Amino acid sequence: MDIFRLSFKNLKRRKIRTILTMLGVIIGVIALVVLVGIGTGMTSYMKQETDSMMGDIIIVNSTEGGPPMASTVSNAFLSQNAVSQIENMSQLYNISVEDDFISQINGTSMYIMGTTTWSQLEFNGTPGVVITKNLVDQFGYKIGSNITIGNESMTITGISNTNSNMYLVMMDISKALPLNNYQASYVTADTRSNPETVKDDVQNSVNGTSAYTQSDEANQINSVMNVITLVVGAIASIALLVGVISIVNIMLVNVTERTREIGVLKAIGFTDREILSSVLLEAGLVGFIGSTVGVVIAVILLLIGLTVFSQQVGNINLLSMVPFWLIAGVIGGSTILSILAGLYPAWHASRLNVVEALRNE
Amino acid sequence: MNKTVLNFQNVWKTYRMGDEIVNALAGVNLTLEKGSFTSMMGPSGSGKSTLLHVGGILDMPTQGTLLMNGKDTSKLSRKKQAKFRRKEIGFVFQRFNLLNQLTVMENIMLPSLDSENNKAEELLERIRLEKKHDKKPNQLSGGEQQRVCIARALINNPSLILADEPTGELDTRNAEVIMNLLKDLNENDGVTILIATHNQLAADFTDKILEMQDGKIQ
Repeated sequence: MDIFRLSFKNLKRRKIRTILTMLGVIIGVIALVVLVGIGTGMTSYMKQETDSMMGDIIIVNSTEGGPPMASTVSNAFLSQNAVSQIENMSQLYNISVEDDFISQINGTSMYIMGTTTWSQLEFNGTPGVVITKNLVDQFGYKIGSNITIGNESMTITGISNTNSNMYLVMMDISKALPLNNYQASYVTADTRSNPETVKDDVQNSVNGTSAYTQSDEANQINSVMNVITLVVGAIASIALLVGVISIVNIMLVNVTERTREIGVLKAIGFTDREILSSVLLEAGLVGFIGSTVGVVIAVILLLIGLTVFSQQVGNINLLSMVPFWLIAGVIGGSTILSILAGLYPAWHASRLNVVEALRNE
Repeated sequence: MNKTVLNFQNVWKTYRMGDEIVNALAGVNLTLEKGSFTSMMGPSGSGKSTLLHVGGILDMPTQGTLLMNGKDTSKLSRKKQAKFRRKEIGFVFQRFNLLNQLTVMENIMLPSLDSENNKAEELLERIRLEKKHDKKPNQLSGGEQQRVCIARALINNPSLILADEPTGELDTRNAEVIMNLLKDLNENDGVTILIATHNQLAADFTDKILEMQDGKIQ
């Protein structure tokens, strides 16, 4: 009989014990896959969003230090002169100027968003401004009311249902620029040639600007998200490690319990190496089956999560959350760790004295 | 002249128990010819089991030489000892020592060097358990379990069967069945058998009875 079948039968003999041991691995794997899956899913979601929003390149004031991240307010602006120079560059098209800044309205800080791309914000019309619902609740504004920003009085033409912690006032860029001394936060544009070349052209020809391509932006997102995913993954790995350590314990119990049986196997001619392999195989099987079940449950949980929160997460697909490398890495890693966990019990079993083992009650 | 299967030449096995030194085997000289059927009798602690363990290369002599089919077994590595046991020696234990997670057939095939189970089927017929090939050991009577143990010992056509109290856990009727089976294997198949027993009835089935006392054959 081959040693693989014997190991498998040994696991089947103590079903409850085997299942409980696997449970440790299963829980660890679920924690790891779900948390890392959320991390990788968020990364790909942010990349998709950025790609669709920004065009080929994005240009900011050079003191900014990097491409603008979502929901951060810039405090270094492009001058009116820089913006017009950019707008005149022949390599660029589909140019859109964005202007986000903080302004005081009746002593309250408001976040003003001026944009060229109205359609993306789903405004109800162009002439007026759109405010978030929290402004309505707080100050009693309604459609048709006037809101005064700086010295300008504007008519509220839309109320956004966006849940925002900030008071947000959105308007066309042509209205926003005068309120911010004609300075802009950033300009996005498509390029007529290689974005990397155009990026250098922009930086060289327009003083005080930094330009970033989509891949720069992706790198920035990656570097931030990788750190988050790594930290979260490391914490989840502790759960998996605890599960694997319990394999050492259980395999030692199994080997001790089966001392006499191991003696019999040796007496009828099984070599030390065969005994060692059988215990390692048992440990490896616990890791492999446990991690496979864990991955399946984690994927189901992520699918449920994606369905329940489909409105918030948009179009993240499961494959971007649980890529093949994650599945292969988790199953392979758990199996290898489990085999390592079986090393000491297996070595102990293989070195048992046959005569003493046969006397064991 | 008959071929010698097992040859003990002044074999000693010494243990230390606390401050006391125990000679489990004290200069044993024994020759088993091919096709012989021998039993060893003697009180507990007389060295019967130790002799079987040393003879079965489960334990090494402290002193002396053990030749099996003319080969000095002390010169074999652990791995070669295991392979030698698998091929040349069949063990029958007092408490059967079958693996409960395996079926009768799987237990018989456990040490098999051949993946084909023709031999196992033949043995199942021989021990009259062909209808219980897929039963687990705990579904069998003691006598049936011991028959399976004998079949497992025979699967690789070994040179020697060593049986330690093969009837020790059985009633008289089952003990007779087992001894008749061993006798049949010896007479008709020429299997060389050495058993250790307390049971005179079992010993009476064998051709030669050795008496052991204080680690020596009397």
